[in-house]
Amino acid sequence: MADGDRPVARRRATATGPGRVLVAVYGVFALSATARAGVQIATKFGQAPVAYLLSALAGVVYVLATVGLASTRPWARPLAWAAVGFELAGVLAVGTLTVLDTGDFPDDTVWSVYGRGYGFVPLVLPLVGLWWLYRTGHDRTGRAGRP
Amino acid sequence: MIETLALATLVACGVLAAFGLVLAALGRVPGRELRVATIAVVALLAVQAAIAAVRALGAPVPEQSTFLIYLAVSVCVLPVALNFGYAEPTRWTGAVVAAGAVATLVAVLRLQGLWAAGGG
Repeated sequence: MADGDRPVARRRATATGPGRVLVAVYGVFALSATARAGVQIATKFGQAPVAYLLSALAGVVYVLATVGLASTRPWARPLAWAAVGFELAGVLAVGTLTVLDTGDFPDDTVWSVYGRGYGFVPLVLPLVGLWWLYRTGHDRTGRAGRP
Repeated sequence: MIETLALATLVACGVLAAFGLVLAALGRVPGRELRVATIAVVALLAVQAAIAAVRALGAPVPEQSTFLIYLAVSVCVLPVALNFGYAEPTRWTGAVVAAGAVATLVAVLRLQGLWAAGGG
């Protein structure tokens, strides 16, 4: 059996136990980031199109991560890995760019300065998310969850 | 916004978050007590949202649409967190409710900031 065909049942669902707290926090970020981006784009898109589109992208990533972590469908885990991984890359890239040069980002996004405007939670969240995905991807004995 | 009411909701959210976290830290599965406390906080938030919405519609604040969205968020987050947390009652249920309470607290703080910017 190929690696990608491991039965999901052998792995622990991501939305159980402490994972539910993680899903809740992701849900809050999904809501706030998409709502913020929606308002920015609807009311003052011309002022900082790059920043606002980035806000919208971040919002979509949080929504996908929330769905991926909350669901037990076969596609949920790969989706969560992709979304949380992208999120980490995004917060590191945008964080670094905004620290070096604020010129292109006149209006703060969720990921500006590594998420400073949100108590650096956007930086910590993907690290916790990736750890949780790794941890629940293995069975109780700590070995990879193979049949 | 009414300053006293906003302060009361902030304190209520803070206490609820602490309550949920203490339950989680003690490893207790929350029962009725946390549910009732959450509903009480939501009732307080709903009263504040109703009053603030009426006032804002009467005399618009800067970033009116953002203000109204935050008002709706401040009321809706805790019921969703409560349902999600209690759907799988474990020691982590309290932490889920606490996460909702902290998010609500931040929303109320942001509401206060928007309101103050309008000179209200």
